[in-house]
Amino acid sequence: MTTGDLAARQAALVAALVAGAPPPPGFAPGPLAAARTALLRKRAGDVARHWPLLAAALGPSWPGVFAAWAADRPTNGSLRDGWDLARHLHDRGELPALGADELATREATTRYDGRNPPRRRRAPALGRAGGAVAGQLAGRVRLLRPAPRPAVDPAPAEH
Amino acid sequence: MTGPDPAPHPHSTRHPDGTGADGTGTGPSGVGIGWRPEIAGFVADLPGLRFVEVIAESVPSAGPLPGGLDELRARGVTVVPHGVRLSLGGAEPVDPDRVTHLARVAELTGAPLVSEHIAFVRAGGLEAGHLLPLPRSREAVAATVANVRRAQAELPVPIALEPIAALFDWPDDDLDEAAFLTEILDRTGAWLLLDVANVYANARNRGTDPVALLDRLPLDRIAYAHVAGGAEAGGFYHDTHTDPLPAEVLDLVGELCARRSPPALLLERDGHYPPAAELRAELDALAAVAGHPVVT
Repeated sequence: MTTGDLAARQAALVAALVAGAPPPPGFAPGPLAAARTALLRKRAGDVARHWPLLAAALGPSWPGVFAAWAADRPTNGSLRDGWDLARHLHDRGELPALGADELATREATTRYDGRNPPRRRRAPALGRAGGAVAGQLAGRVRLLRPAPRPAVDPAPAEH
Repeated sequence: MTGPDPAPHPHSTRHPDGTGADGTGTGPSGVGIGWRPEIAGFVADLPGLRFVEVIAESVPSAGPLPGGLDELRARGVTVVPHGVRLSLGGAEPVDPDRVTHLARVAELTGAPLVSEHIAFVRAGGLEAGHLLPLPRSREAVAATVANVRRAQAELPVPIALEPIAALFDWPDDDLDEAAFLTEILDRTGAWLLLDVANVYANARNRGTDPVALLDRLPLDRIAYAHVAGGAEAGGFYHDTHTDPLPAEVLDLVGELCARRSPPALLLERDGHYPPAAELRAELDALAAVAGHPVVT
């Protein structure tokens, strides 16, 4: 008995669920779409545990922001997923201040090239993101300067 | 075709609830809860607790156990490693390193058994991120049986297998859920970890009767049972583990306990942790419906 067919069919299904590939023939589209959404929600929760400040800064919009970014991106693990998303938001100028603090702290402690697994830095390093600066010395990290916070509740201008 | 099946795994001849020949009781018993770092303090403060699960992948191979689990063990609380990423239902052979890790965690926790899912979580080099259902085909049975046997050969303790909650079915199932599960258990000698909330979720989403399914499952193979909360969203019932325990799931636990001696029940909660009083109330409700001692 060969398992070649099962292997190919499982691969096609996962690709459809996490990588934007077309749904394999015969599957009911509604339930498959629900499963896709559920997987993204599960991933959002997992990533939030690794990037609590990023997720908290986005608040109620976190699941949606994560899902929009992750829909066609298979996971590389929660640490890297959150890292890639934080950099993506940073590049678009959409990274909230708390998320910038968290990203700067991570950049200071760990080297991550976006392709290979992150590796802890041995040498002292600074991490920067969105105006936040973190410093790491002998494995101890400190946020030296938080990212600038937006003005709180700006009153509407009188005209 | 595959050759004749060997005898069930020798570890499996003694029921993991400890009701074996020597009469010692070290297996799952009563009402337990899934240990998670976020609720470690709450779990540590449950005076009557006899068993917990720990997510196997969250324990480093070299140890130590996550904070608090050693203290629970010292109190005589049974710790069951629960794997979520072995992918026993994958067409490819199970990753030997993952099996070695699970075996190591079983040793670290002094567990009487481990558990994993009848599911696959990766294929073709991609991680799905969660448990996916198998086609209920002979081919999938064969792949799962082969992987369970590979795992059993390395594990120091028996394994219990858990059917999952699935939002979709494959288009060409040739076995029903009970027949599929029974065949895998029979051919591996594995125990059953029955998730009552999954039974409820699958039946509700398929429009079938969960009690009728209970009547067809090999309930005598249950090592312990899972219970969890869920919620309706987008026309489907989702087994979220982040919502309150619905009355319908509690009723189904009652149906299970009416059909065999009440198994050990483990409450799974994986996020949106409620105030302690709400979790205690759910544990108390499980104890009441099963006639187990109150653990709170």
